[in-house]
Amino acid sequence: MKKLISLLLALVMVLSLGSAAFAAPGDQADGKLTIWCWDKTFNIAAMEKAKEMYQAEHPDVEIDIEEVLSEDIESRVIASNGDTTTLPDIVLVQDHSIQKFVTNYPEVYHDITDEFDFSDFMPAKLGLSVVDGRNYGIPFDAGTVVAAWRTDYLEEAGYTVDDLTDIDMDRFLEIARDVKEKTGMPMLSGQAGAVDTVLIMLQSCGGSMFNEDGTANIAGNEKLKAVIETYNTMVAEGIFIEVNSWDEYIGTLSNGSVVGTFTGCWILSTIMSLTDQAGKWAVTNMPAMVGVDGATNYSNNGGSSWAIINNKDIDLALDFMQMYRNVDFYNEILPTTSAIACYGPAKEGSNYTAASEFFNGDAVFAKIVEFGDKVPAEVTGPYYYDARGNVGTAVTNALNGGDLDSELQTAQDTTEFTMGF
Amino acid sequence: MTQTSGRKLSMHQKQNIIGWFFLIPATVLIFWLSFYPMIRALMISFQGGRPTALTWSDPLTRNYKFLLKDRVFIQSLKNTFTYLIIQVPIMLVLAMIFATLLNDHQLKFKGLFRTCIFLPCATALVAYSLIFRTMFAYDGMVNAVLVKIGILNEPVNWLNNPSTAKAVIIIALIWRWTGYNMIFYLSSMQSIDYSVYEAARIDGAGAATQLFKITIPLLKPIILVTAIMSTNGTLQLFDESVNLTKGGPANATITMSHYIYNTMFQNNPNFGYAAAMSFVILILVAVLSAIQMKVGDKRE
Repeated sequence: MKKLISLLLALVMVLSLGSAAFAAPGDQADGKLTIWCWDKTFNIAAMEKAKEMYQAEHPDVEIDIEEVLSEDIESRVIASNGDTTTLPDIVLVQDHSIQKFVTNYPEVYHDITDEFDFSDFMPAKLGLSVVDGRNYGIPFDAGTVVAAWRTDYLEEAGYTVDDLTDIDMDRFLEIARDVKEKTGMPMLSGQAGAVDTVLIMLQSCGGSMFNEDGTANIAGNEKLKAVIETYNTMVAEGIFIEVNSWDEYIGTLSNGSVVGTFTGCWILSTIMSLTDQAGKWAVTNMPAMVGVDGATNYSNNGGSSWAIINNKDIDLALDFMQMYRNVDFYNEILPTTSAIACYGPAKEGSNYTAASEFFNGDAVFAKIVEFGDKVPAEVTGPYYYDARGNVGTAVTNALNGGDLDSELQTAQDTTEFTMGF
Repeated sequence: MTQTSGRKLSMHQKQNIIGWFFLIPATVLIFWLSFYPMIRALMISFQGGRPTALTWSDPLTRNYKFLLKDRVFIQSLKNTFTYLIIQVPIMLVLAMIFATLLNDHQLKFKGLFRTCIFLPCATALVAYSLIFRTMFAYDGMVNAVLVKIGILNEPVNWLNNPSTAKAVIIIALIWRWTGYNMIFYLSSMQSIDYSVYEAARIDGAGAATQLFKITIPLLKPIILVTAIMSTNGTLQLFDESVNLTKGGPANATITMSHYIYNTMFQNNPNFGYAAAMSFVILILVAVLSAIQMKVGDKRE
C-alpha cells in the first residue's frame, strides 16, 4: 500500500512538473518588451530601428522582436482565447482586422485612448482602429495607393507616365488596349478571388461594403457594381491577368510580364528590390472610376497598426511607442522600408522630399504623402473579411457568366446571414 | 491473526488493483485530452456570442438550424461528397490493382516498387499540396508538358476553374493515399496461403477468377476498414483545400473542415457555429461507417 501511495505521489509530481513547463514567462512589468510583426524588409526593419533608437536612451530595456506571420498572430490570439500570458507586449495588426479582434477580444487589447497622444495622426487611418469611440491602435504605415508603371514598356507603345496621370478608367482602358495591341503586354495582374483591386477602386470613389451603421451594403450598391463591371471588363479583355497566388503576382512584376500595378505603396519596397529594373519604373496616381459620384484618383490598400496587449508591461510599451511620434525615426526608416508615416509632422523629414534614384530622380515619397491627403475615408467593420470573401465569390461567379445583380444579392444575404448570429 | 487476514487481499484482488493502477495514467490522459474536449465542444455547439463570453443559444439548437440555411456550408458539403464519391472508389480499386501486382511471386524488385508506391504517404500534407499547386500553376510543369507533347493547344488555368480545380484535388489525393491503402491490402494478401491459389489454378481458375473468388472475399474485412478510413479522412479533408486551391475559385473546392477553419480564424470568430459544424461531420462519419459495416459485414 505504501508503494502504491509513493507511486501515486510520483505521478502527481511528474504531471505538475509538466504543467509548470507550459506556463509562459514574463507577465506584468518585467522591464522587457516582446513584439510580434511579420515583414523583414518592412515592419520588422522599422521596429529594429525603433529598438536601436530607444535603447540608446534606455540601455537596460530588453526588446525582443519576433517574426510571426500576420495569419499566425491572428490564429494565436484566437487560440489563446482571451488569455494574454502567451501573447507578447505589442502586436502588429492589419487595419481591417482590428475591429474584428477588439470586438471579440476586448480583454486582450489595451484601450490607449487616454494614454497616447493621437493628435497629428491621419484621421482616416486612426478611424480604422477606433471601436466604440475608443482607440486601440497606434498607426504604423499608410497604405496609400500608388500606380507603378514600367516606362520602357509604355514608351514602346508610344506613351509616357504623364499620359497615365490624373486619368479616368475610360482613358485607361483605351491606353491599355493600345498597349496590349502594340506590345502584347497586359497592364495589370492580381490574385484571382482576392478582390484587392476591386476594393481599391471601390474606396477610390468613397464606396464601401458597409453602411455607416455597420450593416452590409453589397446588393444594390451602385459603386460596387460599377467597379466590378470595370474589373471584369479588364479581365475579359486580358488587360488584367488573374494569377492564383501572391508569389505569382509578385512574379509578374519581377519577371516583367505586366506593365505595372496599382496597390498600396508598400509594394514599392518590393519594386525597389528589383535592382536590375532601376530607372525603368515611374510612380503616379491610379485611374479614377467613370460614372459614379465622388470618383477620385486616390485610394488605400493594406496598412497596419500596433496594438498593446493587456496584463503586460503596458507603461513600458507606451513609452517605447512614443517613437512613433518621432520625426527623426520616420525619416530614418523611410529609405530602407519605404513605410509612409501616418504622422503629419513626419513629412518635414529630409528623406521625404529627397529625390529617388530608383525612380529617375522623382521625389516619390513626397508624392505619396500628397496622394494620402486626398484618399476618401472608408467605412469598415468586424465583418470585413466575411464580406470580402463573399464579394470575391460574386466577382468570380460573374466573371464565369453569372448575373452580377443576383450574385451581389447572394453575397449580401450570405454576409447578413453571418452577421445575424 | 484472524483480524489481519480479514483485511488481506486475495491474490486475484491484488492483481486487479495493480492492473487498474497501470491503466490510470492512460485513462486520465484520454479523458483529459480526448473526451473532455469532445464534451466541451458539444456544449459550445449549443452556445453563441463573443468567444470569451459564450452564452447558451436561444433556442438551444440555433447553430444547427442555421446550418441548413448556410449556402457556403451546403456548398462545402457538396464538394466534400463529390471528392468522396469520385476519389475513394478510384483510389481503393487502384490500391487493389497495385497490391495484386506486387503480390506476384515472380515479380522482381518487389521492395523497390512497394517503396515507390508507398513513398507519397511519407510526404507532409502541406509540402505535397504546395508542390501540386506549383505543378498545376498556369505557367507550371503540367501545362508546359501537355502543350509540348500536343495534348493541349493552349495552357489551362487548372486551379481557376471549378471543375479542373476539383479534378486537381482528386488527383492529388489519389497520388497521396493509394500507396497507404495498398499496404493494407498487400499485407493481408500475404497472409493468404499460396496453396489456395495453386489449388485454384489446378481447378482451372484464371487470374480474374482468383481475384474475385479468392482474394477479394478473403480481404473483405480489410476492404471495409480501408473504406471506412478513407471516408473518414475525406470528410475531414483540410490541407489540400487550404493549400492547393484556398477553397477557390468562388468556394468551388472548399471542404467542410476548411469552412470550419474559416469560421474560426478567417471570418469573425464564431466558436459555437464552428463546433456545431464539427459535430455534423462526426454524425456523417458515424452514419456512413454504420452503413458500410452493415453492407460489408454479411456473415451468414
